[in-house]
Amino acid sequence: MSRSVVWLLLVGAVVWALLTADVEMAKLGKAGPRLWDFLTRMVPPDLTIWREMLRGLAETLRIAILGTLFAVILSAGFGILASETLMRPAVWRPVRALLAMVRAIPLILVAMLMVGAVGLGPLPGILAITFHATGMLAKFYAEAIDNVATGPVAALESAGASKLQQLRYGIWPQMAPVILRDTVFRFELNLRESLVLGIVGAGGIGLYIQTYVRSFQYEKAASVTLAIVALVLLSELVNTLLKKRFS
Amino acid sequence: MTPAISLSGIGHAFDGAVALAAVDLTVMRGECMALLGPSGAGKSTLLALMDGRLRGWSGAAEVLNAALSAHQPPRRQMRADTGFIFQDFALVERQSVYQNVMNGRLGRTSHWGSLWGRFNDRDHAVVGAVLRDTGLADLAERRADQLSGGQRQRVAIARCLAQEPKLILADEPVSNLDPAHAEKVLELITGAARKRGIGVVFTSHQPELSQRFADRVVGLRDGRILFDHPAGLVSESDIAGLYHGAIPDPQLRVVS
Ligand SMILES: Nc1ncnc2c1ncn2[C@@H]1O[C@H](COP(=O)(O)OP(=O)(O)OP(=O)(O)O)[C@@H](O)[C@H]1O
Ligand SMILES: [Mg+2]
Repeated sequence: MSRSVVWLLLVGAVVWALLTADVEMAKLGKAGPRLWDFLTRMVPPDLTIWREMLRGLAETLRIAILGTLFAVILSAGFGILASETLMRPAVWRPVRALLAMVRAIPLILVAMLMVGAVGLGPLPGILAITFHATGMLAKFYAEAIDNVATGPVAALESAGASKLQQLRYGIWPQMAPVILRDTVFRFELNLRESLVLGIVGAGGIGLYIQTYVRSFQYEKAASVTLAIVALVLLSELVNTLLKKRFS
Repeated sequence: MTPAISLSGIGHAFDGAVALAAVDLTVMRGECMALLGPSGAGKSTLLALMDGRLRGWSGAAEVLNAALSAHQPPRRQMRADTGFIFQDFALVERQSVYQNVMNGRLGRTSHWGSLWGRFNDRDHAVVGAVLRDTGLADLAERRADQLSGGQRQRVAIARCLAQEPKLILADEPVSNLDPAHAEKVLELITGAARKRGIGVVFTSHQPELSQRFADRVVGLRDGRILFDHPAGLVSESDIAGLYHGAIPDPQLRVVS
């Protein structure tokens, strides 16, 4: 495609979006004062609900931890099945296609389905995170397996190492840092994504946002938002510190 | 002297393409043999066979008095007895120099202990001595991926020596080195072998250097042995014939 065609398509898309949204654009003018009202009612945040905040954060953290744990277990299995070096194409191709499909389903949708299947609470959240995260983590694990250099492993075999020794001293040292890095990365994503699960009733701190906004208690909604921001910043800090060890 | 390697009537083909044909070769214990030949001659293939890593060949091969199988790798003991120095070093990049050299002990040490990360005093003593011999003592804690090419080469040699091998096979051990380093490395390998009274087979693309360090030079071409002479008795025409002689492959023949 030539450059001008690309530009034409881009401009066309923006014009189309603006035109069909003309009603909304008119609303935007009136929305200004309301937005201001909304924001002013959020300050000062009501920190007296710290108990609920902590309970919500703890449940979110539990969902993320258990969801990650189960995803790691499933991904070990699916990662091996999706490995090009360990499996025949008749196996890894369909498994990879399946994982791609799993990745394509948004987490919030999975969570709604799980709530329908097992009811409200943290359990559907854990199941949703497990399902969703496995789609990505299993692919990463398969790549970690496939990226192991075979030369050093053959060298250990030539030196008299048994299969187990080759695994312990040739394969694992190559894979471990990659797998650890991918898992921590996925845990951070799980934590962020599980913050909103409560909105569809799948447990965690999201439930409180939902409740407080619906009942117009904006000072409390603001506190919960602050708690979430703090948690995300903290997890990012931890990740940055850990990253230095994974090279 | 007893033979360290004896091959008779060895043949091998990769998907129908002949790589080795009717190779007869005997290497004595304590002998140092250089294997010369143009690219694609079959040097690496022959060396891999001696190391027990080639599958599906024909003929009969005995290494250190044990018959090699064309269908399965040699037993652990035998793999440990044959030391191999790989052309691309084949180090575990994220491991320290010390652990890479210790990997050479895997076929010698207690199997279950090693799986728990434990090596015995003798393992540590051997690794320490080998690191000193190869001038790597100061680099022991350095990670393999933080070494220069020449240092990596020495780690590969040290790992092989840590095996306490009864035979050393080296595939182009000096191909990536400057002339001074190449000499030092060949000195290191052949010197260590002489000290231990064990045989060495190394491949090379440097006829002059090979003759200086080997007792015997074998020329391989198109999977066949072209000449087999004591070092010093290899003539210019032997070398010229090996690299530039009439080319049997009709596709490569120059039409005059
Ligand atoms: N794994 C393999 N699969 C198919 N063919 C191979 C394989 N390994 C080697 N060959 C072929 O076998 C022949 C001999 O190769 P070999 O690596 O033994 O040559 P060499 O003498 O070591 O060459 P060089 O000096 O370039 O290292 C070549 O024609 C090569 O293409
Ligand atoms: Mg070669």
